[in-house]
Amino acid sequence: MSQVLLSVENVGRTFGGFKALDGVTADFEQNKVTAVIGPNGAGKSTFFNVLSGVLAPSSGRISYKGRNITGTPQHRFTHLGIARSYQITNIFPLLTVHENVRVAAQALRTRYNIWSHRDRLKELDEKADAALNAVGLHGRRHDVAKFLAHGQQRALEIAVALVADPRLLLLDEPTAGMGPEETKDMVALIERLAAERTILLVEHKMKMILGLSDRILVLHHGKLIADGSPQQIQSDPEVRRVYLGQSHGYA
Amino acid sequence: MDPSLIAMQLFSGIALGAILVMAALGLSIIFGMLGVVNFSHGAMFMVGAYAGLWVASLTSSFWWGLLVAPITIGAFGMAVEFFLIRPLYGRSVDDPLLLTFGLGYVLVEAVRIVFGSDGIPFPTPSQLRGVVNLGIGYFPIYRLFVIGVVGVILLALWLLLEKTKFGLIVRAGARDPQIMRVLGVDIGRIWLVVFGLGVGLTALGGVLAAPMRTVNPEMGSLVLAEAFVVTVIGGMGSLVGSVVAGLVVGIAVSMTALVAPEMAQIVMFALMALVLLIRPQGMFGKSGVNA
Amino acid sequence: MSDINPISSLASAERTPTTIPIAGGSRLQLAKWRVPLSILALCLLPWLLPSKALAVNVLIYGVVCVGYNLLFGYTGLLSFGHAAFFGTGAYVTGIAIVHFGLPWYAAVFFGVICGGLLALVIGALSIRTRGIYFSMVTLALAQLVYYVALQASNWTGGENGLRGFTVRKINIFGAHINFLDPIQKYYVLMAFAALALWFVSRILNSPFGAVIEAIRENETRARACGYNIERAKLLSFTLSGMICALAGTLSAMHLAIVPLDSLHYQTSGMIVMMTLLGGAGSFFGPFIGALVFLLMEDVFSIWTSHWQIIVGSVFILFVLFLPKGIWGTLLAWRMRK
Repeated sequence: MSQVLLSVENVGRTFGGFKALDGVTADFEQNKVTAVIGPNGAGKSTFFNVLSGVLAPSSGRISYKGRNITGTPQHRFTHLGIARSYQITNIFPLLTVHENVRVAAQALRTRYNIWSHRDRLKELDEKADAALNAVGLHGRRHDVAKFLAHGQQRALEIAVALVADPRLLLLDEPTAGMGPEETKDMVALIERLAAERTILLVEHKMKMILGLSDRILVLHHGKLIADGSPQQIQSDPEVRRVYLGQSHGYA
Repeated sequence: MDPSLIAMQLFSGIALGAILVMAALGLSIIFGMLGVVNFSHGAMFMVGAYAGLWVASLTSSFWWGLLVAPITIGAFGMAVEFFLIRPLYGRSVDDPLLLTFGLGYVLVEAVRIVFGSDGIPFPTPSQLRGVVNLGIGYFPIYRLFVIGVVGVILLALWLLLEKTKFGLIVRAGARDPQIMRVLGVDIGRIWLVVFGLGVGLTALGGVLAAPMRTVNPEMGSLVLAEAFVVTVIGGMGSLVGSVVAGLVVGIAVSMTALVAPEMAQIVMFALMALVLLIRPQGMFGKSGVNA
Repeated sequence: MSDINPISSLASAERTPTTIPIAGGSRLQLAKWRVPLSILALCLLPWLLPSKALAVNVLIYGVVCVGYNLLFGYTGLLSFGHAAFFGTGAYVTGIAIVHFGLPWYAAVFFGVICGGLLALVIGALSIRTRGIYFSMVTLALAQLVYYVALQASNWTGGENGLRGFTVRKINIFGAHINFLDPIQKYYVLMAFAALALWFVSRILNSPFGAVIEAIRENETRARACGYNIERAKLLSFTLSGMICALAGTLSAMHLAIVPLDSLHYQTSGMIVMMTLLGGAGSFFGPFIGALVFLLMEDVFSIWTSHWQIIVGSVFILFVLFLPKGIWGTLLAWRMRK
């Protein structure tokens, strides 16, 4: 029986009068891949934002490794071991690929040192190189991030999250905007990462999710309407109803 | 402390606040619709005063100055938006700010060239001279006039924004600019008019203020800072906030002048610092957007 | 990056840099030699410029702009209130000498410390806001300092400025220097300027330098990476304020008077203009900007007392067509090759 890494209890989030998330409860086990799916507006982004500290929940509680982390400021999350990638590529555009990942690695090491030369911190270079190798971008490390192709930017997106060596990796539509070939590469990457880390994934590509995930959560109107293995979800009548005509196919 | 003195000072504060409201409102409208903070706003106030002065001296009538100056300067504002600010859209959000700052610099110097650096007194129009007995004391008629004019302008603005199609677009645009494009609204024309309106309002404030202060090229520099203070206290982009905060600040400054004149200017900045500490988004501002 | 139109700036828009970032970890060969090169240029300056007084001004305002650039060009925060730190450095130096009889070096020290403390306070208040709002707030808070100085005339001399503290002779480690001799004065001030430049260069090369660049590039991402953005901004703000305060102390020593206008936002604006003219976000840019601005003033004021209108128009043209500034545009050009 795997350990529970992250636990959300009755988590809700309202904006003005609108309930984006309503009473979501789930436990996430270590080293499993969990996908979160749902139609547009179901609350997936909000859920991710709450889990990564961008938003505090309006109600309920979040526990990580047994500790209550509800309301922790966002910048503490990577230090806890929770990192995320973004649906819309969110990198440092005018820095090189290597610099992008290096500065992300640096956050866990030193933040206010105004005196030493940054090049002295060799271990940051090693970590950055490791992360870039993991996503296959090492060859492009000196290219300015802005000028990368879309698929490569998505890979950089992952590398920036990965370099923090997180126990829990939140991937927000990692294959957004990608064609079939690139999606295959990304799936392979996620499978490699899943061997050592717990992964939470938001995606729309049903075939990909069914092949990749150990478990699927389905959100609808902010509520969790289904939670189970891919087989269970596929045969769930409620999910069928909600998803009729909304599956995408790739890979 | 004599109650009538306090009442008089209160009225004085409202008159002062009325001018502040005119300046701050123009700033707020431009920001709310275009997302541009007009750093030449103080200079426009000053140019408005000079324009009023000039027209009044040409026509020997304050009233022509009051009417013509804001309209002309408003038109000038539209030209500024079209030729100088529009090319900057799509670039860094700081660029319009920087450009308008440079513009203010240029305007002040231009006024110095044309009118000289010395202050020019602007005589109160003859119909508005003197004081009137308000029961609690004697109050300058001109200041009552200023309060009245600003009140009328606020009413007209409210009608414009709440009751006209243009106003609807301005309010909608401030909330969801993408929709407007989709609906085929000619956004360029709206920007033009809004910028002209904002500048015209502050120019009107300048003309109104002219008889109360000496007209000099530096008179706008304080106004810019004051408009910022009022906007911060009232809340960025909130028109109601500008009005309320303008009056609050005017009264606060006026009342402080009663007990500790050397602190009068400082008190408005102190208020702003306080608001920043307790509620950074201002009285009517939305949290999380800019603060 | 996303299209930033004026309306979308209603959201807390990230500031898309108009500058070319020279990552502190030096992407250009030139960057490694930036401190020695700057010092060399500064040594030669009095001999290259038409007057010594101009050279001293370029020195002083160059340091202000370099300090300001730390916050504006590298961290991406457009403050319009940095005159407060410049002026405070100057006033505290003068006050220390006039009212407390302190020796010049103690006065300089306190000037820098007080400037830094003020920057800490103003920074803490203004960093609660973002984007253009931040610019407005810094301007207004700096004006507060102006009005306090205006009113506290017993200490500051009010409208007339602070006078009565001419520094004549100074004693550095046994060397007697006649501060009234323009050349000797220049090189003493230059020593301080060199120190400031070296300090800034170290900061830019440091891990913290990488942090502020990340904040400028993408603040939300930097936060997600694990940086406490507010604290980092505050540190940058304070360091920047300290350097501007140092420039202020130099100005006080040079002029032997502190004019009230050193605290006015027009001075803040001038600092912004100089920095942009030269090129924000580069190391040499601000100095070049100060040089060009002051040269223009020097040259144009021969023809007309209204030189400001020319300089202001030039600035507008730069914002429209050359936002990277002189040096920044040159750098971008070279990078393209």
